[in-house]
Amino acid sequence: MVNHHSATRSGSRSGPWAAPVLAAATALALSACGSTGDAAKSAPNSSATNPNGVSTVNVTLAEDAGKDACSLDTKTVPAGPVTFTVSNTSAPGVTEMELLKDQRIVGEKENLAPGLDPVSFTVTLDGGKYQIYCPGAASEYLDFAVTGQAAATPTGTVPTILSQGTKEYSAYVVDQVNQLNTATKALDTAVQAGNVADAKAAYAKARPFYERAESSVEGFVLPGFAVDDNAGNLDYLIDMRESTPVDDKVGWKGFHAVERDLWQGGAITPATKALSTELVGNVGHLVTVVAPLQYKPEDLANGAADLIEEVQNTKITGEEEAYSHLDLVDFAGNVEGAQQAYASLRPGLQKIDPALVTTLDQQFQTVLTTLDGYRDAASPGGYRVWTPALRGTDAPKLTAVIQPLHESLGTVAQKVVSAS
Amino acid sequence: MLSGALIAGLGGAVVGAVGGGTTAWAMASSEAAQVDDGDAVDLNRSHPFYGTGHQGGISTEPQRHTVFMTFRLADAASARSLQTLLARWSAAAAVMQQGKPVGTVQPDNEVAPPTDTGEAFGLSPASLTVTIGLGPALFDGRFGLAAHKPAAFADLPTLNGDTLDPKFTGGELSVQACADDPQVCYHAVRNLARLGRSTVTPFWAVLGFGRTSAGPGQQTPRNLLGFKDGTRNIDTDEQYSKFVWVSGGDQPWMEGGTYQVVRKIRMLLETWDTDRVGNQQRIIGRHKKEGSPLSGRSEKDTPDFAAEDAAGEPVIDPLSHVALAAHENNDGVLIKRRGYNYTDGLDPNGQLNAGLLFISYQNDPQNFVRLQNRLGGHDLLNEYIRHVGSAIFAVPPAPEQGHYVAQALFG
Repeated sequence: MVNHHSATRSGSRSGPWAAPVLAAATALALSACGSTGDAAKSAPNSSATNPNGVSTVNVTLAEDAGKDACSLDTKTVPAGPVTFTVSNTSAPGVTEMELLKDQRIVGEKENLAPGLDPVSFTVTLDGGKYQIYCPGAASEYLDFAVTGQAAATPTGTVPTILSQGTKEYSAYVVDQVNQLNTATKALDTAVQAGNVADAKAAYAKARPFYERAESSVEGFVLPGFAVDDNAGNLDYLIDMRESTPVDDKVGWKGFHAVERDLWQGGAITPATKALSTELVGNVGHLVTVVAPLQYKPEDLANGAADLIEEVQNTKITGEEEAYSHLDLVDFAGNVEGAQQAYASLRPGLQKIDPALVTTLDQQFQTVLTTLDGYRDAASPGGYRVWTPALRGTDAPKLTAVIQPLHESLGTVAQKVVSAS
Repeated sequence: MLSGALIAGLGGAVVGAVGGGTTAWAMASSEAAQVDDGDAVDLNRSHPFYGTGHQGGISTEPQRHTVFMTFRLADAASARSLQTLLARWSAAAAVMQQGKPVGTVQPDNEVAPPTDTGEAFGLSPASLTVTIGLGPALFDGRFGLAAHKPAAFADLPTLNGDTLDPKFTGGELSVQACADDPQVCYHAVRNLARLGRSTVTPFWAVLGFGRTSAGPGQQTPRNLLGFKDGTRNIDTDEQYSKFVWVSGGDQPWMEGGTYQVVRKIRMLLETWDTDRVGNQQRIIGRHKKEGSPLSGRSEKDTPDFAAEDAAGEPVIDPLSHVALAAHENNDGVLIKRRGYNYTDGLDPNGQLNAGLLFISYQNDPQNFVRLQNRLGGHDLLNEYIRHVGSAIFAVPPAPEQGHYVAQALFG
C-alpha cells in the first residue's frame, strides 16, 4: 500500500485526478494486454499472413537439453495485425511471455504451463524492432522485427507527446484494475468454497495487478469522502497492512487481512469470507474510480518513483506480505508498473533528455535481470518465497540494483514539468 | 597559556582559532572534580580539501567523531564511471569541508528532489575532513588499473587472532569523514553514497563517537576500556616522513599517499568492567587514571621494559599491550593510529556491542601486519577483544584545485 495521498496532495480529488472522463483508451498496444487473447482451439497454421491479412507467429516454450527454450517460428512479419500463439509444450520454468517495444509491454500471456492449450493474442504492430521476452528461458530476449511502415515518430510539441503518453498510461491502469477485479473474484470463489490451497494460489495471482496499478493510488478515493477518511480510501480498504497503524473506526481489512487468515491461521472462517466479500466490493469500486482518472506527465514520473520507493520500503523489507512472504511477486508488480509509467513518458523524455532515457533503460534492465534470478515457476506467483532467511542473505543485492533506478526516476518529474 | 599542567603530562591546549587556553585540571586527590576544558572545539574551523599535499584526516588534528564507510563497485561499473565517481566525490568533499551543501536543499522546482540531503544545512564546517581510499580489488583488471598496483599493496593476510566477520571485511573504496559534529560526518558520507548510487554500493559502515588519538596539544583521550589510547603516537614531521607518507615507491600516483588499515575491534566490555584494576593495568601495561607506564609516574614517561620489581619480576609484563606494541620492541617501527570508539548498540545476547574502530596509516602495510601478528598471538588483552572487521586501502595524496583524488591513475 502506498500511504501518501493525504500528505502530498492537498487538493485531493479536485486535483489533477478528477479531470473529465477520458474518452477512450488510445493505446492499441495496451488493449492487447493480458486477457484479450483466446485459447486457440486448433493447432495454429504455420507462420504466414492469412487471407484476412493477419500475420501469425507461433511462440513455443520447450525443454531442450535441460534448459527451457523459447523459440519463434518466424522473426519477421509485415506491419499490421499479428496473432501470437504461445504454446508451452514442456518448459516448466517459463510461465510468461511478453512482446516488448521500447520498454513497453505491447502484449503478454501469463500462467503458461506445459500441457495447457495454446493461448493467443492479437495486436496491430507498426514497423520496427521488438523483443519477445520469455523470463526464465535460456535466452530470455529474442529479437523480433516488423517490416513496413514504422509508427509515425511522435510529432508535435514535447508537451503533446507527453500528454499522449499519459493517456496510454491511463489505459494501462484501467486494464490492470480490470484484471484485478477478475482475479479478486477468483480469490473470492476459492474463499467462499473454503478451499485454503486454491485461495492461496488465487491470492498470489491477484496481487501483482494491484501492485502494478498502485502508482496512481492518490486517486483511489471514493466520491463523497474526505481525503483523510479511511472509510473512503480504497488503498486503505484494499491494501492496508497490519504494520500500518490501524484506523479503529474502519478496522483492518482487505488483501492482507485475508492473507493473515490463509497463511497464519491456515483456515477460512466466516470472518475470512466476509473480508473477501468486502474486498470484491471495494475492488469493484476501484474499477469505477480509476476509469475517469487522468494524469499529468509528472504524475507518471512521481508514480514510477513512488513504486520503486515502495519496493525499497515494503518489499525488500518483507513488510508487505508479512504472512505469505510473496513480497517478490509484489516487487515484480511494482517494477512493471513503474516501467510502464516510464514507458509512457519515454517518447517525450527521449526529446528532453536522451541520456537519461539510456540510463533508465539500463537500470530497469538491471533490475529485471536481477529479479529473473528469483523466478521459480513452482512458487505461488512465480517467484521464490521471500523468507526471512532469503531476505537476510539477498536483500542487499536487491537494494543495490533498485536504488540507482530510484535515484534516476526521481529526476524525471522535474524534466517533464520543465518541458510542459 | 596559563600554568595549567597541574598534573605532569596533561598538557591541555585549546585547538583552533582561540590559540590558547587553560588546563583547569583539578588535583588528583579529587577525581570527581576533574574538568575537561583542555580540548575546546571551534566549530567554525574548516580544512581545505585541495592542495594540501596529503589528504586530510591523517595528520589532521583528530576531530571528535567519524563516520567510516566502505563501498563495493556495482557490476556495471566501468573505469569511466569510477573516474567520474572519484571526481564527483572530490568536488563534493571540497564543498562540504567548507560547510556548504552539495547542491541545493531547496529546489526551485517543486517536483525536483533536493540535491543535498539537508541535515547539515546551517551547521558549521566543524573541521570536517573527507579521506578517500582505494581497495586492492580495484586493481584486479576490471578497470585497467592492474599495472598501477603498488607492489606493497594487497589484501591483508589472515593475522593471528583474526575472528573476522565477512560483513565487516574488505571493500573497494573507503570514505572516512571526521568532524567535531557527528551530524556533519554523517551528512558527508550519506551524500557521497548518494552521489555514487549508480556506481557503488555501500558495504559496511561504522559510526565512531570519540577519538582515540591526539594531535599536538590535544589531551590523550580514552578508549572504551577506560585507558588512555594513543599516548606514544606519530607526532613529528620526521616521523610522518619516515613511517606514514609513501616516498620513492614503485607507483608515482601514490607518492605522498599512505595506506589505511581499518580494524573493527569488538571489546567485551561487561567482563572487562568487572576485572580488577590491577589486572587491567597488567594487561595494558599502564596505570588506569594517569596513563603512565607501570614503570613510571606520568603519561609521557618512556616505558622501562627492563624494570623489575622487588621479586625480580618485570614491572611491565612482556605480554602486555604496551610491551608488545612498543617501537622499542618492534625494530623501531611506528604506525600512525587514528581510531575512534564505536558502538553498534546491543548484540543479540543483550551485551554491549562496542569497541574500537582502529584506523592506522603507514607507508608500508607490512609494518601493521608484523605488529598485529605479534599482538594477535600474545597480547594479554586478547581475552577481552575480538578483531571482527578488517580492510586496507591505498590513500592517494590530496589533489590540487581543479583535479581529483587518484586522477593520476586515469591518464
